[in-house]
Order: sequence, then C-alpha cells, then structure tokens
Amino acid sequence: MKQPQPFQYLKWSARFLNFGYYLTAFPNLSYWALKLTRPFYVQRETFLNRKFRWSVLILGGGILPPEEIRAYHYGAKAFADNMRSALKANEQGKPVVWVEWIISSEIVNAFDALPFNPETLSVFGNMSGEDVPSRLMEEAESRGFAAENCSAIKVTAGSYMLKQIPRPTAIIAGSHPCDTNVSAYQSIAHLTGAPAFYFDAPYWRDEDAFDYYEKNMWRLIDFLEKSLHQKLDWDRLRKVVENENRFNFYLQEICEMMRAVPSPATMITPVFAWVVREIAIGDPNATEMAKRMYEVVKHRYEKGVGVVKKENIRVLWWNPPIAFFAYVFKWMEDEFGAVVVKDFIGDVRMPQIDTSSEKTMIRDMAKNHLYLAMARQCHGPVEFILSELEQAIEEYSPDCLIFAGHAGCKHGWAVIGLIKDFLKKRGLPSLFMNMDIMDQRHATENDIKRWITEFFRSNGFV
Amino acid sequence: MKTILDQTRALAATAYNPYLEEAKKQGKKIIGYFCSYVPEEIIHAAGFVPYRMRAVENRGTTRADAYYSSINCSFVKLCFNKAINGDFAFLDGVVFANGCDHTRRMYDNWRYSNIGTPFVHMFFVPHMINETALDYFSLECAKLKSALEKHFQISITDEALEKSISLYNRKRRLLAEIYATRKNKEVPIKASELLGVMLAVTAVPVEAAVDILTEVKKFIEGRVVSKPEDLRLFISGGCLEEMEHLELIENSGCVIVADNLCLGSRHFHDEVETQGHPVRAIAKRSLGHLSCPRMMGDFQRRFDYLLSVRETHGIDGVVIEKLKFCDLWGAEMYLFRVEAKNRGIPLLALERELYGGGAGQIKTRVQAFLEKLKNKQAADEGVVRAAGTDYKPK
Repeated sequence: MKQPQPFQYLKWSARFLNFGYYLTAFPNLSYWALKLTRPFYVQRETFLNRKFRWSVLILGGGILPPEEIRAYHYGAKAFADNMRSALKANEQGKPVVWVEWIISSEIVNAFDALPFNPETLSVFGNMSGEDVPSRLMEEAESRGFAAENCSAIKVTAGSYMLKQIPRPTAIIAGSHPCDTNVSAYQSIAHLTGAPAFYFDAPYWRDEDAFDYYEKNMWRLIDFLEKSLHQKLDWDRLRKVVENENRFNFYLQEICEMMRAVPSPATMITPVFAWVVREIAIGDPNATEMAKRMYEVVKHRYEKGVGVVKKENIRVLWWNPPIAFFAYVFKWMEDEFGAVVVKDFIGDVRMPQIDTSSEKTMIRDMAKNHLYLAMARQCHGPVEFILSELEQAIEEYSPDCLIFAGHAGCKHGWAVIGLIKDFLKKRGLPSLFMNMDIMDQRHATENDIKRWITEFFRSNGFV
Repeated sequence: MKTILDQTRALAATAYNPYLEEAKKQGKKIIGYFCSYVPEEIIHAAGFVPYRMRAVENRGTTRADAYYSSINCSFVKLCFNKAINGDFAFLDGVVFANGCDHTRRMYDNWRYSNIGTPFVHMFFVPHMINETALDYFSLECAKLKSALEKHFQISITDEALEKSISLYNRKRRLLAEIYATRKNKEVPIKASELLGVMLAVTAVPVEAAVDILTEVKKFIEGRVVSKPEDLRLFISGGCLEEMEHLELIENSGCVIVADNLCLGSRHFHDEVETQGHPVRAIAKRSLGHLSCPRMMGDFQRRFDYLLSVRETHGIDGVVIEKLKFCDLWGAEMYLFRVEAKNRGIPLLALERELYGGGAGQIKTRVQAFLEKLKNKQAADEGVVRAAGTDYKPK
C-alpha cells in the first residue's frame, strides 16, 4: 500500500472538522442538507457513501435536531483548533504533550504547551472514508508491536511511525485501565525517545488510594516543569478547572435526565462530549458545547419529550462505543427506536473540584481522575463494574444490555462469567459481541448490525 | 539411587507434597500466592508456609472457561480450573496480586465461585519504582500483615519478621550461588533441572527449601551437563513451569545459562536489607528487585541486566517467551527486538500456551535459531534475526 504523506490523515480530519464547524454554524441549513441527502450516504454502497458516511453520520446524519447540531458546532471548533495546532506545533517549536486516552489533560493546559491525544486517529482516522485505523495498526504490528495489544495504542504507534501525528516533547500515560497501557507505553516512549510520565492507578478507591494518586499528580507537575522548562501557571489551571467543573456539571445533569422514560437525550451526546473532553477539557468551546447540550436536553426533559418519536427499547451499552461505527447509537434509534440510556464512557460521575487552593485542586483532581470513564470501572475489583451495572438497572429502566466486547479489554473478558451471571440473575437480556472497537478486522459494521438486529428480534423487542 | 535433582523433579511434578502434609500436621497454615512481588517473609513470619501457585497436574480449562474468555491467559485459567475442581483445597488462604489483568481478576472469580478458601486477600503492587510507590507499597505490606493477624487471630512481631528475612535471604543467597555456577564454561546444572528446583523450593517450607538447596549445591559440585559445542542462551519471560519445555530447548544443542523468569532470577535477585524497619525493608526489596514488564519505565534496567549477564555468562543468544494474550510480555518483546537488533544480539521470540503442546513447532524454531547462531559463529555475520515472520525492522 502507498505510504501516506506526512500528516495526511490528521489534515483530512482537521479539514473536515473545520468544514463541520462552518456547516453547523447554520444548524437549520445543515439539518436539512443532511436529511435530504441522507439516502445517498446511508442506503447504498457508493463512492460518496464510503467517503463521507462516517463523517456526516457523526454529525447526526439528518437525525440530530438543529438545536443539538448547534451544540456540536462548538465541539467541532474545539477538535479543529486542537488538530490545527498539532499540525503546526513541531514547525513552530511549540511543545506537544501526548496525553493518553483516559488521562485528563488539565495540568498540561496550565502550561504553554499543546496537549495532544495520540490515539486521535483511532476515531477521526475514519473520516477519510478509508479504514485508516487498521492501516495504522498493521504498520505497528509489522514493526513488532504485539497483535494482542489494545488497538488504541497500536494506532498511536502506527500514526507515529507513518508521521501522521506530531512528535511529542513529553508523554503522559497511566497504569490503568489495562496491561497494554502498562507495557505498550514503555514501547511508545522508546519509539519516540520522549520522556514519559506514568500515572500509577491504585487498585482500591479509598483515602489511602487518593493520597497515592494525589502524590502522582504532584510528581506530574514536577515532571512537566522539568520537561517543558516552564513553571505551572496556577491561575490558568484554576480557569481550566472552573471550565471543567461546569462541563462536568452539565454532562452529569444530562446523564441524570436520561433516566426519564422516554429518554430526552441520545447517548451519542455524552459520548461526543467525552471525546471533546479527551481533547479539549477546560477549553471554553467545550464548556459552551456542554451547556448547549444540557439546555436542549433539559428542554425536552421538562416537556416530557423523548429524543426519538417512539422509544421502543432502552439499552445499556457496556464497554466503549465502536469507533469505526460511531453512529451505531443513531442507527439503533433510527431502525428500532432503541435508545442507549446509559453507557460505560459517556456517563459522567466525576466529583467537582474545589478550586479554593492549589492543594484542594490537586487533591480533588486526583479523585476526579479515578472517576473518569474506564478508570472508574476498570482499575479495581469486579464490584466497580457490578455496582455500576446494578445502579444502572435500578435507575435507568433498561430492557437489555449490549456488551461491546473489545478485544483489548482482557480484564473485562476475565470477569465475563461474573457479568453474565449477574445479568442473568437480574433477568436482563444481554448481547455479548466479540469484536474490537477500533479494528474492523475483527468484526465489521455489517456484523455488528446483524448481531444487534438478531438480538432484538430474538428477544421480541422488534 | 535417587539424587536430590530426582527428588526436586518429583516435588515439581505435583501440586501437593509430603512437606506440606507434614506442615499441616504441625498446624501450620498454607498460604498460596501468585506473583514474585508478594513478600513471602510476611506470610512466613505469621508461622505459615507461603506456597507459589502453579498449574501442574492440571485437567484443562473446561470449568474455568465459564468464568474467563478465549482471550485470557492459559496459566490463569488452568490454575483457576484446578481451584474450582478442589485441587487447592489444602490452602488456608490465597494472596492475589495485580501482577497482570488476568491474575488480578482471579481475586474476583475466586470469591464469586464458592471455592471456599478461608482467607483471600488482594495485594496491590505499584507499577512504578520510586519513593512515592515505596511508601504506598509499605502500607500495602502492613495491610497484608494486619489482614493475616486479624483473620487468623495471631500477632506477627518484628522479631519474627527479622528471622524470616534472615531465612529468606539465606535461601536467596543459596539460589544465587547455584545460578552463578552456570557462568562456567562447564555448566553443572541444566535450566530444566533448575526449574524443577525452583518449583520445589517454592512449594515447601523455607526451612526445608534451604536444606534442599544446600544439598543441590553440594550435588552439582564438579558435575558437568553441558557439551563443549553447546551454545549458551539467556531466557526471559513470564510464567514458565514445564521442565520438558526447557529440556526441549536444551536438547536442541544449547544450554540455558541465565534468565529473567518469575521462577528464576526474579525470585531471588537482591536480598532484603537487615537494617531499619522490617516491613519497609521487605517492601523495598519486593518492589525494587529485578522487574518484569508490569513495572513501568524500568525496561532499561531489565535490558541492562541482560547486558551484564551477557558479559559475565558468555551469552550467544536470547530467547524471549510469552504466553498467548499476554500484553505485558508482548510489548516487552517489541522492546527486546529493537534493542537486540541495535546491539547485534541474536534473539528468538516464542509465543505459546502453558501446557499447550506444540512441541514440534517450538523445536523447529529453536533448531533453526541455533543453526543460524552456529552459522553466525562460523561466518561471523551480523545480527541473526529469528523474531517472527511479520517482523519488519526499520
């Protein structure tokens, strides 16, 4: 296969997101444009379909109402800004700090440096209409990365090897949620030659554990000050955290409102917000997006209106969403009136951060990080999973559960029997999909559609 | 007449043995543990026998498959299957550790599957080696001590800890001395035999282990098991407990003279300091000893260990092994491949299942690797690469 030009995939993503930003400045227009052209990109397999389907469906594909599209406008801005800065950073000599998937980047934002999520192309690589993530993973595997490592990190390695993402000045990674993070980030650090900081997540979630994680946070500050030759700007951090608090508040409220029957929001809203959070937490655009999402959902909630006209099935979605089939939630709503009311990633339940002093900020940020999606469920005993499922069943009135069994999450597969037993006892029909959320070589979009359709049919939901 | 190595081989071939039976009769509790990072001294100071968990005498994974999936580690599934079958009924407790994602989940599966072990404890091991981690790890060691005291209604004194430290240091010293004999051109003990010794001395009371090791040390004096033409290999990997696997490698025309294995150097590398508070000293040694890839940011030290052993033991080539679905050793293999290539160290990377058969395939790969090494010796070529068909160095 022909080698891509340097930054080819990131440039494509940045351009499309920029286009999305301008398009969504006119929400009514974009709504109708997406709706009227929908048959061309949804129903048949054509060039247009392949090239643009992922991108336009992620913008709602004519199903998201204009008021929600307006919120996406700010998210697209946050993405595009980060990517444009990333494209220029190495040339301009601006330090780039890679911040791994489930680590939050507030502290980097308090330096004059660009936080960059190196796994970005595992999601946005799909925008080119080609199976870019698999291409990147194959590159990493061909140079010795283990096939069983999580695809997110193989995408990072492949992206770097093919010069698709900027060189890091420093790297921040963590020991959670899985062994791939523990081990493969050592490989990434070796590959790039950049100094790496590793968060060590404790197993338990008690005061001793928070103390330990807090000390990790202080060590991170020390590491960044040395690596970037700068001092942390505490006022800047305070502003970032204040924005983050507002962001988390809005998202938490949305998740709470989704308990209502019918659900006033689609889970794609919090999930989209989560991706924005990964890239641009503390960015005023991200907070503005969350606020507008909240207002839309609150309006529907107060009127008792659901996000779909007829809500037939309420679904719990466990494990992260499918990156190459990110519109699966919209597809389920459109096809079956099936609304995902709670998932593993989008559900926000982080404590607010006390900004009254440097000490309280760092302490609360440590707690906050251990309640981030994936960190929250994956770093400790199985009760961290089962209690969240128990609570979801109690509060969200689900009809079924779909387990997107990501091949990289071996810790999750290692308690699959306990999860199945638990769901059986609770009488909740469940579908367990054997797949990889970023790698279509395991299971394709069509496989997933077929499994979900058969599951809904065989359980009498449709 | 049976030699001491025959005896250790026999001990290695069974999960339960007469030493444990005798200890039980004396009222001693047997406490299983899963990882080199669990400090045996604390268990021993309680008056108990630490027992390294193993999958020997396993009967497949049929029942464990209901708990785990097809992409989980064979060692963990085999052990858990044994536990469900009641093969570990002699244990009075098990200390689990977050060695990897698969073993840490055994703590969950064990509790929910009514195996009935009276004492189960999750022992957190940090993934970093620094002062912050050592503070937290010391706390974890103290919590393990308290948990044992509380559950078994006993008291673990500092004096008992100091005695245990001294005993375990003696055991480590003996092991180090036996391992060091393999530096010689004429090697007195094969790696497969040593694995049998390791399996034996991690399944008996430490007092008996010291006696066994003393006897082994005496037995191998003046003994020669290597041939002059044998190539000398280093082996690195995680869980490995089949002696026949190492025999297969060594019978192909080489002798394994050093390692970085759970049941190898990692078990005895570094001693516990006898100064200062015993729990802190135990924590320091447990956390800081020769690491495996679960320790982040410590690859250079692991590779430096290989380089130093290469100098002292005259290593011709390296074998690195991983069990299928092991992310930790999978990533380590990448680092080994890159660094071994940079430094011209011949490397063979193997992937297999524990007790998974495939001896013919492994033998073919080992033979091919050794043949390349011999050709290299003859022609003095550059790097020999035998590290997987899809490997594309750049």
